[in-house]
Amino acid sequence: MSPTDLEARPKQKAEREEGTRPGAYFTPLVDIYETPEELVLVADMPGVSREDVEVHLDGDTLTVEGRANADEYEGLKPVYVEYGVGGFYRRFTLGETIDRAGIKALVKNGVLTLHLPKAERARARRIEVEAA
Amino acid sequence: MAISYRDPFAQLQRELESMLERAFGTEGPSSLYPPVNLFDAGEHYVVKAELPGVRPEDLELTVQDNTLVLRGERTLPETAQNAAYHRRERGEGQFRRVVRLPGPTEGEPQAQFRDGVLTVRLPKASQARPRRVTIHSD
Repeated sequence: MSPTDLEARPKQKAEREEGTRPGAYFTPLVDIYETPEELVLVADMPGVSREDVEVHLDGDTLTVEGRANADEYEGLKPVYVEYGVGGFYRRFTLGETIDRAGIKALVKNGVLTLHLPKAERARARRIEVEAA
Repeated sequence: MAISYRDPFAQLQRELESMLERAFGTEGPSSLYPPVNLFDAGEHYVVKAELPGVRPEDLELTVQDNTLVLRGERTLPETAQNAAYHRRERGEGQFRRVVRLPGPTEGEPQAQFRDGVLTVRLPKASQARPRRVTIHSD
């Protein structure tokens, strides 16, 4: 028997503007890390296919959205439920200037990975100290 | 745009929400990983589990009588050197989850892993299946 060291975190409903798209939206769990060259955002979006992901960068506001696939649930009657089903939505304010043309998005196994390269002038420069 | 009450998926979403609320209140469900949903599809039971980022080869399923066991591991790919984290919400590690089905099953279960969601279809044993009853009239 293997130990269980993963804990489920109950899905939280996403707050978003009323009247946009119908249906339930949840807040995806994310990791965000930064390297000297880029910001990387990794978001868990189970049940969302590649073609149902939308990423918008408006000024310094980054929005990620994934729509749920309803087809999988046709003819199913719920008996026991531990999680809600729906899309994902979350908004971030970026503190870095991003090179928009270089943004890359990848979706695999229900995980969105977003590479946001820093604009040239925003990159930290290493300054060599010359010996006198 | 008004929410259409004829949309079967929207209806299912609301049904799931209200079942969640009735079962767990505002506390939310247990922290057992992965969370599972169980459905009745007439001739089958359908178990779904959200396992984003788990590779299919790291997932193992066993079925015995009316018990389904899911076990596996979620590993997060190593990040680049010199990475500084701003947020770290996604967990990694091993898991093992036992799911009891409402009735006996027989025959080959079918499992599919798509977009980070595992779907297992388990044929109900004949005594658990719905049977059509012929109604006679005089």
